[in-house]
Amino acid sequence: MFLTNVAYASAEHGASAPLFYIGPLEVTSEITTMWGVMLLIAVVCFLGTRNMQRIPSGVQNVLEYGIEMYENFFSDILGRKRARQFMPLLATFFILILCSNYSGMLPMAGTLPGLKPPTSNVSTTAGLAICVFFLVLYYNIKTNGIIGYCKHLVGPMPAIAILMVPLNILEQFTRPLSLALRLYGAIYGEEMVVVSLAALCPLLLPLSMQFLGVLFGAIQAFVFTLLTAIYLEEATAVHH
Amino acid sequence: MDINPSTAIFAIINFIVLVVVLKVFLYKPVCNMLDSRKQEVVNNLNSAEEAKLEAQKLRDEYAAQIQNARAEAQEIINQAAKIGEQTKADIVTEAREEAARLTAKAQDEIAREKTEALNEIRNEIADLAVLAASKVVGKTIDVADHQNMVNNFVKEVGEAK
Repeated sequence: MFLTNVAYASAEHGASAPLFYIGPLEVTSEITTMWGVMLLIAVVCFLGTRNMQRIPSGVQNVLEYGIEMYENFFSDILGRKRARQFMPLLATFFILILCSNYSGMLPMAGTLPGLKPPTSNVSTTAGLAICVFFLVLYYNIKTNGIIGYCKHLVGPMPAIAILMVPLNILEQFTRPLSLALRLYGAIYGEEMVVVSLAALCPLLLPLSMQFLGVLFGAIQAFVFTLLTAIYLEEATAVHH
Repeated sequence: MDINPSTAIFAIINFIVLVVVLKVFLYKPVCNMLDSRKQEVVNNLNSAEEAKLEAQKLRDEYAAQIQNARAEAQEIINQAAKIGEQTKADIVTEAREEAARLTAKAQDEIAREKTEALNEIRNEIADLAVLAASKVVGKTIDVADHQNMVNNFVKEVGEAK
């Protein structure tokens, strides 16, 4: 009961207190968890690709299957060439968000200092969304040039440019905002429901929500990646 | 719902670091492996196709060779049969000719012998007749007349026979 109360209290705040500082930057539980998740991903990938065999087995098989699944799915949206080009970005978003979401399933997550699902905090999701914003901006300007990008903001009809320019600029900012809030809301909400259910009856009851959490974690990671892919596709489409 | 700038900055840094790390440890090796395996499969399929075509070609070639050999064998057999037939005909013809020749020769011989025998008998009979007549008559008949008489007699006998 005490633990759930603490969890509830910290979850209510949203942001967690800094554990320690690196220079001027605060290191919170979300960040340490993220490091742990990253370390796990890196170790699994390192072990899986350390000694690659022509006939895959074990971890290598799983990694190859994942990459192939990624390629097959995103080739439909981006085409095979761009799917390959954006693979490091999109696949990393997916893997990082998925593992971050699932880190909330670990026992004591949210109550143990240093262990809190990173995506249940809006600062983390905002950081990821900022990455998307700048990536889309960069690839848009790289593909279409500054002038092309400005033309895109003006829209196809110069007569109503005065109306379209603010709307298009607003759209550029609402996209990452929606990305950040959607992910944060889904995971934070799920965590809150689990905590509330645990407060009602700590035995078995939260499991129902945690089962759904498995689904939500995957769906949210997928939606974030899919929307990023669509933004990138739009940014790098060659206009004729 | 305050945004903690430190957390956001760390999230960005973490993302960039993870992109780099995964690029080295995941995307590059796996993509290389997938591509090389794909290339290998393509190569294998191509070479299998080539081998198949090659086998097909060889099979056709061998079939043609067997066909040729069969035709050649048939031709040889036909030729041998023809030669045998010819030889047989030659031998038979030769044998017939030989037989005819031998028969003719034998007939000639017989005819000659017969003539000789007849002549001898004729002479013998004439001599005996002359001797007998001379004994009966008691005097010697002129040999020439006698000879004539006997010859006529023999002739008559021959004709009567």
